[in-house]
Amino acid sequence: MASGAILVENIEKVFPPTHVGFRAFLAPFARPTQRALQSVSFRVSSGESFAILGANGAGKSTLLRILTTLLLPTHGRAEVSGYDVIREPIDVRHAVGFHSGAEVGFYARLSARQNLQFFARLRNLSLTEAGRRITETAERVGITHALDRQVRTLSSGTVQRLSLARAVMHAPSVLLLDEPTRSLDPLAAADFRRFVRDELVNRRGTTLLFASHSLTEVEALADRVALLDAGRLLFCGTLVELRARTCSSSTEQAMAQLIARASTESGEPHS
Amino acid sequence: MNFLSKIRAFFLRDFAIESSYRSAFVLQLGESLFGVASCFYLSHYVESAQLDRSLPSGRSYFAFVLIGIAFFDYMSVSINSFDEGIIQARQNGTLEALLVTDTSLPVILMSSAVYPFVLMSLRTLVYLAWGAALFGFRPTGANWIGAAAVLAMSILAFIGLGILSAAYLLLFKQGNPGKWMLLAVSGVLGGLMYPVSILPHWLQILARLLPITYSLEGLRSALLDGASFSALWPSIFNLMLFAALLLPISFYIFAWALRRTKINGTLSHF
Repeated sequence: MASGAILVENIEKVFPPTHVGFRAFLAPFARPTQRALQSVSFRVSSGESFAILGANGAGKSTLLRILTTLLLPTHGRAEVSGYDVIREPIDVRHAVGFHSGAEVGFYARLSARQNLQFFARLRNLSLTEAGRRITETAERVGITHALDRQVRTLSSGTVQRLSLARAVMHAPSVLLLDEPTRSLDPLAAADFRRFVRDELVNRRGTTLLFASHSLTEVEALADRVALLDAGRLLFCGTLVELRARTCSSSTEQAMAQLIARASTESGEPHS
Repeated sequence: MNFLSKIRAFFLRDFAIESSYRSAFVLQLGESLFGVASCFYLSHYVESAQLDRSLPSGRSYFAFVLIGIAFFDYMSVSINSFDEGIIQARQNGTLEALLVTDTSLPVILMSSAVYPFVLMSLRTLVYLAWGAALFGFRPTGANWIGAAAVLAMSILAFIGLGILSAAYLLLFKQGNPGKWMLLAVSGVLGGLMYPVSILPHWLQILARLLPITYSLEGLRSALLDGASFSALWPSIFNLMLFAALLLPISFYIFAWALRRTKINGTLSHF
């Protein structure tokens, strides 16, 4: 399997139910009953930009967390850059950069530079190499001015950029983004997308897999998309193919039709 | 090499965070002075013929209790620092960010514990220094290398308990009640404020099941009596047994708990 490629094969994920009170002590041993992903399979080629679309609860974040080794799948297998997410988690994490889109995840009383230096060491970068990459990445993502300020004083947009800098400073072959622009204003989001598309995907050849609610983002970045609904893969292909499949003029309409059709077939109300 | 550089990174991170609260360092020095002063005046108050008979010959109660208080906290730090590392990372949202790096969770936990141990050691030295400078504590003829050996073995034994506590936290998200019970029982039975020999016989048997008992006995023998290595060997041997039993079991249970949380999706829940 090529460096940077992703393979997802018959992945299923079932979570145990949430318990409260005394029954919470049994939760770690409870039988899993809540299905989050059902037989999801797709491949992402090296250097491709691939989006996972779906409503809240569709299983997008669960899938990304399996690929980052934060979660174990119940069934099926997944590989990132040729490494198995269950058997070779450290190799997978070495190949991957992950940006969760959250505004937390940094040490608030440390400066942006100190945070990046710390995470660079955990990525096995030498001090010199870390310093060089931090300067270079900060410039690329536009946070040079904020490098020596404590993270608690930074705006959400700057923290998002800092998070992206952390995800890419070790030059991963695969970049996983979970709703990366959810707290950015439209201009900052456009900047962000430009950087990801031009610098990471086009120039460095990084494989991009991202989950998003934003169709603008998907249309700007994705070569192909996977549409998830209630853990099921409804479609995998280009946006043109998605619209053609439903004879729709817009991506939004196409998605709505596919989800409605799947709900009718399964007899379950859509999530 | 990588492991050492990661330990250094965690140490520098914790030092930078702690030193951003500038007054805390100075206040901790003051706090330790008050702790030593309390021991000193308490020892003057309670000194009696009965107490002298209970203490090993030639030891003052102040020196006895100072060693107890100065070193008991190694057990607290060992047991608390691993789950504290997880709690803090969960609360400030850095746990996922740490876990998607090329560093495994056991290495993250071990490295997170280094700064608390270094701080604890400094605090212990400050305790002893206050005692020596202001209250007549004289560890002349102490076997410092022997004390270091007892301390190292104690820390290994305590770390096993700390990792078990972290495994509990991973599974149940809440602090481990067993941990507080163990600390409380160790405080009462382990010889912190009085010799184990004054306890009823059946409690002395229970005390022998606690690593802190051997730890404090060994440290007092080394620092107050200047005991030789052969005299310290029973304490070191018993602590080695605890470490040999607790470390593999705790690592196994921790690995199992980590796998459960990755199956259940509760790794970053709190």
